[in-house]
Amino acid sequence: MDPHLYPWIILFAPLVAAGLILLLLPRRNAAAGVVGIATAALTCLLSWKVFLQPELAVTAQIPWLDIPGVFAVPIGVILDDLSRVMLVVVTTIATLVFVYSAGYMRGDEGIPRYYAALCLFLFSMLGIVLADNFVMMYIFWELVGVSSYILIGHYYRKDSAADAGKQAFLVNRVGDFGFLLGILMLWLATGSVMFSGIEQNLSAVTLHPGYLIAACLLVFCGTLGKSAQMPLHVWLPNSMEGPTPVSSLLHAATMVAAGVYMLARIFPVLLAAPEVVRDVIMWVGAITCFAAGLMATQQDDIKRILAYSTISQLGYMVVGIAVAPVNDVAMFHLFTHAFFKCLLFLCAGSVIIAVHHEQDIWKMGGLLPRMPLTALCLVAGTLALVGCPGFSGYYSKDLIVAYAHGANTAVFWITAGAALLTSFYMFRLFFVVFWGRPRGSHAEHAKQSPAIMTIPLLLLAVAAVAAGYPAVSKHFFALPHGEIPHIVHFALLAALLGGLALAALLYARSPMTDPVRVPLFANRFYIDNFYDWLVARGQGGLAVLSSWFDRWIIDGLVVTGAARTVWATGYVLRFLQLGNLQAYAFFFGAGVLALLYFLVFR
Amino acid sequence: MSPLLSLILIPLVTAAFCMAGSAPRRISLFGAAANLILSLYLLASYNIEIGGFQFVSENALFPAYGISFSLGADGLSLVLLLLSTLVTFAAVWVTPKDVKFGGMFYACLLLISSGAIGAFSSIDLFFFYAFHELALIPTFLLIGIWGSGERQRIAWKVTLYLAFGSFILLLGLIGLWLAVPEGLRTMDIRLLQQLGYAGLLAPGPAVYLLLLFGFGILIALFPFHTWAPEAYASAPAPAAMLHAGVLKKFGLYGLLRLAVPIFPAEIQQFAHLLLILLLGNILYVGFVTIAQKRLDLMLGYSSVMHMGYAFLGLAALNQLGLGGMALMLFAHGLTIAALFALCGEINRRTGTLEFAQLGGLAGVTPKLGLLFGFAAMASVGLPGFASFASEILIFFGAFGRGAVGGFNWFQTATALSLWGVVISAIYMLRAYRRIFWGSRGSAVNDDLNDIAGGTRWAVILLIAALLLTGFRPGLLLDYLNPVFAYLPQ
Amino acid sequence: MPTLGDYLLVSGLLFSIGLAGVLLRRNLLIIFMGLELMLNAANLSLVAFARHGVTAFGLPDYNAQVLVFFIITVAAAEVAVGLAIIVALYRLRQTTHVEDLDRMKF
Repeated sequence: MDPHLYPWIILFAPLVAAGLILLLLPRRNAAAGVVGIATAALTCLLSWKVFLQPELAVTAQIPWLDIPGVFAVPIGVILDDLSRVMLVVVTTIATLVFVYSAGYMRGDEGIPRYYAALCLFLFSMLGIVLADNFVMMYIFWELVGVSSYILIGHYYRKDSAADAGKQAFLVNRVGDFGFLLGILMLWLATGSVMFSGIEQNLSAVTLHPGYLIAACLLVFCGTLGKSAQMPLHVWLPNSMEGPTPVSSLLHAATMVAAGVYMLARIFPVLLAAPEVVRDVIMWVGAITCFAAGLMATQQDDIKRILAYSTISQLGYMVVGIAVAPVNDVAMFHLFTHAFFKCLLFLCAGSVIIAVHHEQDIWKMGGLLPRMPLTALCLVAGTLALVGCPGFSGYYSKDLIVAYAHGANTAVFWITAGAALLTSFYMFRLFFVVFWGRPRGSHAEHAKQSPAIMTIPLLLLAVAAVAAGYPAVSKHFFALPHGEIPHIVHFALLAALLGGLALAALLYARSPMTDPVRVPLFANRFYIDNFYDWLVARGQGGLAVLSSWFDRWIIDGLVVTGAARTVWATGYVLRFLQLGNLQAYAFFFGAGVLALLYFLVFR
Repeated sequence: MSPLLSLILIPLVTAAFCMAGSAPRRISLFGAAANLILSLYLLASYNIEIGGFQFVSENALFPAYGISFSLGADGLSLVLLLLSTLVTFAAVWVTPKDVKFGGMFYACLLLISSGAIGAFSSIDLFFFYAFHELALIPTFLLIGIWGSGERQRIAWKVTLYLAFGSFILLLGLIGLWLAVPEGLRTMDIRLLQQLGYAGLLAPGPAVYLLLLFGFGILIALFPFHTWAPEAYASAPAPAAMLHAGVLKKFGLYGLLRLAVPIFPAEIQQFAHLLLILLLGNILYVGFVTIAQKRLDLMLGYSSVMHMGYAFLGLAALNQLGLGGMALMLFAHGLTIAALFALCGEINRRTGTLEFAQLGGLAGVTPKLGLLFGFAAMASVGLPGFASFASEILIFFGAFGRGAVGGFNWFQTATALSLWGVVISAIYMLRAYRRIFWGSRGSAVNDDLNDIAGGTRWAVILLIAALLLTGFRPGLLLDYLNPVFAYLPQ
Repeated sequence: MPTLGDYLLVSGLLFSIGLAGVLLRRNLLIIFMGLELMLNAANLSLVAFARHGVTAFGLPDYNAQVLVFFIITVAAAEVAVGLAIIVALYRLRQTTHVEDLDRMKF
């Protein structure tokens, strides 16, 4: 087969699969699973082929919106180092999660719907990866949003899941509002929506630094929404209402990383923009990564802990975009994070299945002897996440913190502090769930999950350990060489050990409830409550007010007024219709006289 | 006989048969299908390279006034004719089999269709106006006889108000006609356009404002919009489909047909006014939509809100904006028709449209839930549906009127309109969540049967058309682009 | 020899009496008579015009006389129809007073 077709097959195969499942297999659980897994495997295979052929360049485009000579938005693919790496990451993890889902979702009533939505998600995510222009990226940006909405709402009968899906979509739309506005501003300035065109014509905008700053920050709003950065992070923890494989694939490994990928894609624009843009991005990332870490320390739901951890790690990546001279630094962390966070979520899923869909860590405990394989994988993921030397996270996180050290001392200390928090909440999770005695009968009788779930776990565990080694990463990234300052190593190691020690001190003796209570953190700084209040009072109040105004002022005065004027005129004229013959005759005669008078005597 | 005349006459004749004979459903389905096929055939046989008005037939009636029964279609008309026949077919198909006075009902639907088709294919000012008036009468009957709630009060209110709008429009059209130089007096829209391009026709701002507000009332431009939600909530579903999907597009079509070629300077002059009013449509009506507690009213308000985007395309007055506006007429017509059809289905099953009494319907009627999901996403402007392509074109068109370095009126209006995209997601997803997701509402039980038969296929047809044109907007843009290609960039 | 003016004066008087009858009397039959009076006033003036307005050939203008015959026949038909309506009305309402007849529907 012609290799030039590979990207197109990678892109469209999942869409075809989604349509196939929806139209032909709406009740065939097994067949839907097979189609889904086969499609993911196919895209994975072709992605690796594309990755191993660096000379392959695809320039063909499918016209989509085309107004000749004025405006054109094609569907085109871009194949460079960035997209090749991302292709491999997305499709590999997707394949593993698709397989794992077959075990996790066993017995569910909506398996075809689930796989159709997963395929739709894969299509949209690959579209973001391959997009060669901003509008195409926006298209797929919206589509991942809707597939995420469907998947979070998979258990749609639960009110909480239904609300979470809706919230995720809406918060993303708020981010997309800024994103599209930023795209419009860049298009107006450069006359192009193609990434290449924007970069070429960028000199035209640098004359207007304020405009460029606004445009870049608005585009960054897209990242705020999709990558759940403060203050638009609230949807990600709630999205844990979806099935765990979904949380793993969408809300940990790939979709939420799309925001970072987009920043990496427009990295030249960010470099050309005034310094203040990258300062804002850096601070947003730093605050997010620290605050989310604080919130994670007080969560009781196993998936929510991981969700806040994801937000925190995405904060690292955003910092990495802002402080490093090349985009590969952030992408490297995205790469390693995708594997170990996916692994952690799948481990959590395996635990949740084992304890009969219980997610409260205070009802678990003592699982280490009961599910050793899962525990082992979780430890591997945890060590990678906290940046233990020898595990992948160590390499990528150190690099970002090292650049933060070079850029801004305060940010360096914040990111190092976030590493301490990471270590603390991850070991807290480990000790409470796996250590000590079981805290309930479900935990007592937990068993290791079936092979279809453990095999993806083991494969991911290998990747989580090894993905960071220079021998591996040099095939994927051109990382800058340079000595990492000793203080960075020292600070991160101290953070790791400090967090471990603190967690061991508090939780290793298997307490029945959390010995530490910080309501501020447990209630996530009351940000969610604030938004609830804002939506209920602000938006709701405004809506009710407008509705009242519409009902009584506009409808009452303007519209009904006009209709009533017509009616009232008729009412007045009705009095002339007396029904009395002689009155009509009189009017008639008077009319004739008047006519005569005007025609003859004037 | 000219194909356009057949397009007008087929529904008329079918309507006559419906009133006279038996089996009105079968006859009208047949007529509507024939019309749909005919309009597809017209699209296929239209010569894009030559462009302009084709299939022209002229019959001079009153040469002294320049009135002649002339028909003709360019790319814009053809797209709207396709919209009319598609929605008519779907509306006839979703009509419940047990509707009372069936013959009359189908006849009214077909009369609206005939009126709309006549208005879209007339190239004579007089018949352009007259055909639209013809379609208002069956709308009145449909709401007054088959409506729900306070149907007679609403029917009167809507009809009187629309008549008022038509009256203002008529004044504007007379003003336009009087402005034609003596000796050239004509009602031929093609000639009027040519005069407009040549700058020989300058009726002045007063006439433009009469046309804008006359058409504006028919389109439900803020603040003349409150007739629409009430009317659509009360009208039976097929009537709401036809009125919101097709007949309301007459106003926008009229603006594209008359205002754009003849009043470019006036559109520029009053752009600020238009921008403020359309933001009223998008933001203010958007908030009103959020506050609605009933699906039918919410859909009615949402259709008013979407008209704001169309006006944004008009205000932009460039190829992008106007092309997007024309595409939006098509996309929005199909979307709102599908939504009203499904809304009628929900009402037939549960007997209520109050959000408070609904919930968890997707578990009982999954196909209805899936189709409503598609239609709701089309309404939200999700990529893949034609609505998205049209909104993107409008946004780029309007923003393109801005300046690098600053933020002028157009840019500000575009930015605020973008917020409408968030608002429409808020109310649509909230409605979907309240009706289909979550725990069961009091009106939902296991006995409800899923959507089936004609309604299902009609909605699938509408959604398939939306998806097809969303994936390949070029299918329609090839027809629309030449219409606006003369505009400066 | 009476002049044209005399005829027209009589005709005008007749017309005025008829009109006053139509406007002021309440009985339908009297109104009807008034109406006939007005028609005949018009006839009288037409005949007078025909007698006094001579054409180029020295003959009276027959056009006016033709019109008079027209009016007479139409009036006859009108009386037939009108009286029938009045009789029908009387049967229905037992009255021929116009004040009692101000509704379109009974």
